[in-house]
Amino acid sequence: MNDHLMIAPIVLPLLAGAAMLLLDERRRGLKAAISLASTLALVGIAIALLIASAVTDPMLRIGVYRLGNWPAPFGIVLVADRLSALMLLLTSILGAAAVIFSLARWHRAGAHFHSLFQFLLMGVNGAFLTGDLFNLFVFVELLLAASYGLLLHGSGPARVKAGLHYIVVNLAASLLFLIGVSLIYGVAGTLNMADLAARIPNIAAENRGLLEAGAGILGVAFLLKAGMWPMCFWLPSTYAAASPPVASIFAILTKVGAYIVLRLWLLLFGDAAGASAQFGGEWLLYGGMATVAFGAVGTLASQDMARLAAYSVLVSSGTMLAAIGMGQVGVTGGALFYLVSSTLGISAFFLLIELVERGREPGADMLAVTREAYGEDDDQEEEEDGEIGFAIPATMGMLGLCFIGCAVVIAGLPPLSGFIAKFALLTAALNPIRLPPGGDVPVASWVLLAVLILSGFATLIAMTRAGIRTFWAESDRAVPRVRIIEMAPIAILLTLCAIQTIQAGPVMRFMQETANSLHSPHDYVREVLRTAEQRPHKGGGT
Amino acid sequence: MPYESFLIAGLLLPFVGGCVAALLPTNARNAEAWLAGTVALIILALLASAYPRIVDGGVIRFTVEWIPDLGLDLSLRMDGFAWMFSTLITGIGFLVVLYARYYMSPSDPAPRFFSFLLAFMGAMLGIVLSGNLIQLVFFWELTSLFSFLLIGYWHQNAQARDGARIALIITSAGGLCLFAGVLIVGHIVGSYDLDRVLASGEAIRAHRLYVPGLVLVLLGALTKSAQFPFHFWLPQAMAAPTPVSAYLHSATMVKAGVFLLIRLWPAMGGTQEWLWLVGSAGLITFILGAFFAVFQQDLKGLLAYSTISHLGLITLLTGLDTPLGQVAAIFHIMNHATFKASLFMAAGIIDHECGTRDIRRLSGLWRSMPITASLAMVAAAAMAGVPLLNGFLSKEMFFAETIEVHDNSIVDQALPYAVTLASMFTVAYSLRFIRDVFFGPASTELPRTPHEPPFLMRLPAELLVVACLIIGIVPAMTIGPILHAAVRAVLGSTLPKYSLAVWHGFTPELLMSIVAMAGGVAVYFALRPYLLSGIEGPPVLRHINGRRIFERVLVTVSWRFARWLENILGTKRLQTQLQLLAVFALMAGLLPLPVRWAVTDYGSASGFDPVFALLWAVGVSCALGAAYQAKFHRVAALMLLGGAGLVTCISFIWLSAPDLALTQLVVETVTTVLLLLGLRWLPRRIEKISPTERSAGTIRWRRSLDFVIAACAGVGLATLAYVTMVRPAPDSISRFFVENAYTQGGGANIVNVILVDFRGFDTLGEITVLGVVALTVYALLRRFRPAPESIPIPEQQQAQNVYDDRHPDRQKGDTLKDAMATPALMMALLFPVIGVTALFFLLRGHDLPGGGFVAGITMAVAFIVQYMARGTIWVEAHLRVLPVRWMGVGLLMAGGTGIAAWLFSRPFLTSYFSYVETPVIGSIPLASALLFDISVFSLVVGATVLMLIALAHQSMRSHRTPQAREARTREAAPMKPAK
Repeated sequence: MNDHLMIAPIVLPLLAGAAMLLLDERRRGLKAAISLASTLALVGIAIALLIASAVTDPMLRIGVYRLGNWPAPFGIVLVADRLSALMLLLTSILGAAAVIFSLARWHRAGAHFHSLFQFLLMGVNGAFLTGDLFNLFVFVELLLAASYGLLLHGSGPARVKAGLHYIVVNLAASLLFLIGVSLIYGVAGTLNMADLAARIPNIAAENRGLLEAGAGILGVAFLLKAGMWPMCFWLPSTYAAASPPVASIFAILTKVGAYIVLRLWLLLFGDAAGASAQFGGEWLLYGGMATVAFGAVGTLASQDMARLAAYSVLVSSGTMLAAIGMGQVGVTGGALFYLVSSTLGISAFFLLIELVERGREPGADMLAVTREAYGEDDDQEEEEDGEIGFAIPATMGMLGLCFIGCAVVIAGLPPLSGFIAKFALLTAALNPIRLPPGGDVPVASWVLLAVLILSGFATLIAMTRAGIRTFWAESDRAVPRVRIIEMAPIAILLTLCAIQTIQAGPVMRFMQETANSLHSPHDYVREVLRTAEQRPHKGGGT
Repeated sequence: MPYESFLIAGLLLPFVGGCVAALLPTNARNAEAWLAGTVALIILALLASAYPRIVDGGVIRFTVEWIPDLGLDLSLRMDGFAWMFSTLITGIGFLVVLYARYYMSPSDPAPRFFSFLLAFMGAMLGIVLSGNLIQLVFFWELTSLFSFLLIGYWHQNAQARDGARIALIITSAGGLCLFAGVLIVGHIVGSYDLDRVLASGEAIRAHRLYVPGLVLVLLGALTKSAQFPFHFWLPQAMAAPTPVSAYLHSATMVKAGVFLLIRLWPAMGGTQEWLWLVGSAGLITFILGAFFAVFQQDLKGLLAYSTISHLGLITLLTGLDTPLGQVAAIFHIMNHATFKASLFMAAGIIDHECGTRDIRRLSGLWRSMPITASLAMVAAAAMAGVPLLNGFLSKEMFFAETIEVHDNSIVDQALPYAVTLASMFTVAYSLRFIRDVFFGPASTELPRTPHEPPFLMRLPAELLVVACLIIGIVPAMTIGPILHAAVRAVLGSTLPKYSLAVWHGFTPELLMSIVAMAGGVAVYFALRPYLLSGIEGPPVLRHINGRRIFERVLVTVSWRFARWLENILGTKRLQTQLQLLAVFALMAGLLPLPVRWAVTDYGSASGFDPVFALLWAVGVSCALGAAYQAKFHRVAALMLLGGAGLVTCISFIWLSAPDLALTQLVVETVTTVLLLLGLRWLPRRIEKISPTERSAGTIRWRRSLDFVIAACAGVGLATLAYVTMVRPAPDSISRFFVENAYTQGGGANIVNVILVDFRGFDTLGEITVLGVVALTVYALLRRFRPAPESIPIPEQQQAQNVYDDRHPDRQKGDTLKDAMATPALMMALLFPVIGVTALFFLLRGHDLPGGGFVAGITMAVAFIVQYMARGTIWVEAHLRVLPVRWMGVGLLMAGGTGIAAWLFSRPFLTSYFSYVETPVIGSIPLASALLFDISVFSLVVGATVLMLIALAHQSMRSHRTPQAREARTREAAPMKPAK
């Protein structure tokens, strides 16, 4: 798989974004066309990479791209394995949905939307592809820089305020990232992830503390980006303030944090890491559970849907972290399934919220909640005109249907993929592969069971409240005017959840195999460090 | 097509039908009814054709692989019990569809109703046909969802909304418990397959997770079947249209709970826990439901409590933990479904024709609607357990079962008396239903004049009542085989002896029936004065309103408590978040150290140089000073930062890193200027924190805490850095760079070769970051409106203006112009000089200190200097800079350089270099890396200048007239999507 397709997810948005900088701000049509073409092409590329990564032969499965044709530990490599390809596909799908959605109106709300969006995609894709720790830093910086700009898109005090918090917190985290990378480089002498994995078991005992300090600091940076409690307080306001297409693509950003943890933790501190094996596992596990709990509390305490969605991001992120922290291959497979499902659902929800809220008077939520909290006025409230149903206008019907879809995916209820995901996680946690039937299941599994089920219940309550308030209680509200290109992305995302449910067998198989290779990364290490062909064309210094 | 696939066809058909139904026009009542009715009939036909195969204990299975990795297949399994339930679901479903066609008003949106109804039918079939427990949970939750949507069908009605929400929350909470319970069962058995679970009863009961698993499964079943203490959702659900109540909330969905109990009884029953948990829940519900039902004033309320009571009866039968109990339970499920559905339909007809269903207002309806009255009377008699009706038979079996000795506890001994008492209430409310509604004087003040409904609306109830009669009179011939098949499916081949005869002789249970009848009539007449008083609900107990308690708890826990917790566990403050981040980083960095860090001799690694130390002392004090002054005097802090930066720069030179020093120097310069430009617009420091907010002590404590954290973080980081740097260097990849920079990279300047070649990809990313940051700054500042206090022009400028105003020969701004005249001239002259320097840095970069980045920033300095000297307006009038274009070109070029390698079938960014002979200069090196460096240059110039312009334009904006500013503020408000 050493063709240039692997680097296309990085180069294509770069060129598209750069080309759009040359265009005048008024040429919206052309910009929209470029952006859309690039994003759709990314979907195609990601699918091609995914297919390539799904073959059984490990030599062909793991694509390694040596930038500048430099051999592996020295130059930068891109590595496309199943996980990377999966994340690329997810990103490109969310990207396509967000771009299509934005074309209805949001891309006009500020300068350079499409360029920033393409750069964001470039950063995210780069982070998923790179096999080099410092290069990872670069791409994470890129996606953060682009996310700063996109967050401010549409402006307004709420966005600027949330945006400044976001920038400050993430800059601080980036500093930690850099410190962590430096420490690890100082101890291990390499930046290549595979090389690191190969070197860590042989690190001298007296240096191990330093290495773990570096890894720990690095971990703090990633966990902040993944939104682990108590380093997640920046997240709800930020996501709630972002404009809908931006919030929708932001759903993947916390997953970048989760991805890095998944990739690096299993690669560097897997079972093969010698004395450092499973370093920090409990922190992930219990931190993740605390995050789920906090997220669940937050969803209940949210008045508006945007905040509810933002807290759902925390629940999803926390679930991922806790599942990774279990350190069991089956749970990891379930976590990957969950990742796709919950990201699609939350992303669709962020898009949906604005459509639903359109044409509602602001503050309606506040009133409704206060009424619920303080009044028993429901008893006196007489229905307006007896028991004759209202025909919900088709738009509201569609929106309502999509809302139900999002709600069941996020809460993990049937019939969509959220339920399967939760089942996959829990059944794997309760029936670990290495455990003989009837043996002891770790306490953590039971806690995970309780946490996941309760958080799903909390989400359900919050969603029901929000849904009833929006769709049922205000029967005289103005029906929002919604365009097809706004509705279609949501429908597509939810359809994908449905497909994920129906095709759960193959999808789960793919996830499980991905998890297997993550938990035994020797193929990865071997492929990356395979001696590259020398550079025959180099002129030398003569 | 194999015969088994009729199962999947039958399961999918309602869902497909539901989808089609949703697409029909709003008022297509007839088409919807035809569609739904046809679906139900087709499934009924399929069921009928399957009957011979299940009647003798046969099981029809259909399995397709779904998620083999998780041991979850789409597995359908139909035995006699499932067949009986399926027939019930589709049969009553068909009747309800027919009924609903006439019940629903023409203005009700039909598609929503029928599509949800069909989907519910599918989900319900899914439950009973599931051959896999997870799949059962899947459909279980679906029925909760559709029940929610159907209860809330008339959502403009607040009661419907509340009822729907309560039902959803209770039943889906139960569903989640069931999910957890099933996971535990699956863990015990090692499979979720129903057959395997049923075969592993011994293992399940012996496992130490049996009790938690049982409790969770029971929570699922009991909530669904509205058992005490979760019963209160069912009366609330009566806000649904009556067909929904008849179908979901009496005949089918609420039976899912008892279905599950009976289904799992062979695996999980037969223990003391089962007897007590299930039995007591059933007994309490049976008694309470019957008691409450008597006191309802709403017809549907009465039927709802009666349903609760009957479900309690069935649960109690299951809980008695005997095979015969299960037989009676199954039998009563069928009987209850028939008479209760017809009663609901009758109640709906009354409501429909009279405009009310309040028992206090209804009276003497027998005169105006004799047929409906007869139907209701027969059904109510069946409910009361009158002989020759089906209710009598199962009740007899029930009584017989309660007389049996189970564990011989006090409760067990009191059981026959308790159930007889409860049955009196059953008789009483049945009697009340008949007598208060149909007899007595004709009611006068009804919203509509009552008359018989259309024939087809009555037909479903008629069919059901006929069924009650036939089963009641000739049970063995009619229902016998079906019951036998169902019982056999549950209990296996060893069946208990039961008889379906109407007459068993004079038995204790007959005596109980007679006592219940007589007592019921007595109770009714005894309670009449109270009932006529018009009070809804029983004395005293009516004040305990389950729904209100639930609402209070829900609001308290899910809202107030959650808000409180959110405030405790979270914060919206940036400071707190940063504090936490610092503390965590500190912990992460320091915790691993003491554990494995053997202190080795690091101290004397290098010689101590007093000059270098002095330099660092200066640098450190600058940094500390900057931190100290950051809040109090920003300009001073900025200057001190510059000092620290300079020391860093000198340190680089000291340590022989000229490239870094050069970069540091130019970056330092440009950032200082940009920050200075930005300082102007920062809000003023809030000098005094109002004492009401926080006491001085708190402030001091906070500050000391911050100081400690900051100091620890600083010292910790310094320690880490020191330890890392003085320890023996590991075998690092850096050697490769040193060795290969010239031979392979074609450059003598290793740093530059690393930047543009070895790790050129990083550089590509970083310049993109820079570009994006510039765009962000631009986007932010484009709509930035300064704080009110920073709008007035600065003091110095005011003084100058005052001076200029006083002198008639001077114009505003002259003083500034005079003062800047000489510097401006010099700076203008510097422009080409700096430009050439930049070019110089750019070209020599590959071999000597320099490179695209430094060159770009140097070039930006040239622009900055012009802005400083001449002001924004002058510069932009004379010099057209298009920074965004520069950036775009830079990025495209960088990408293009990388892609160019593809033409030679090399990976992205593979460099190429050679020497070109030129006539005059001689041999000059030409590397593709130079092109890359030029793109870096272009981007850096563009990005820096864009930020500069964005900042510089602030000063122009704020001087415009206030009116214009106001207008702009309005337009800068957050984008509201246009209506």
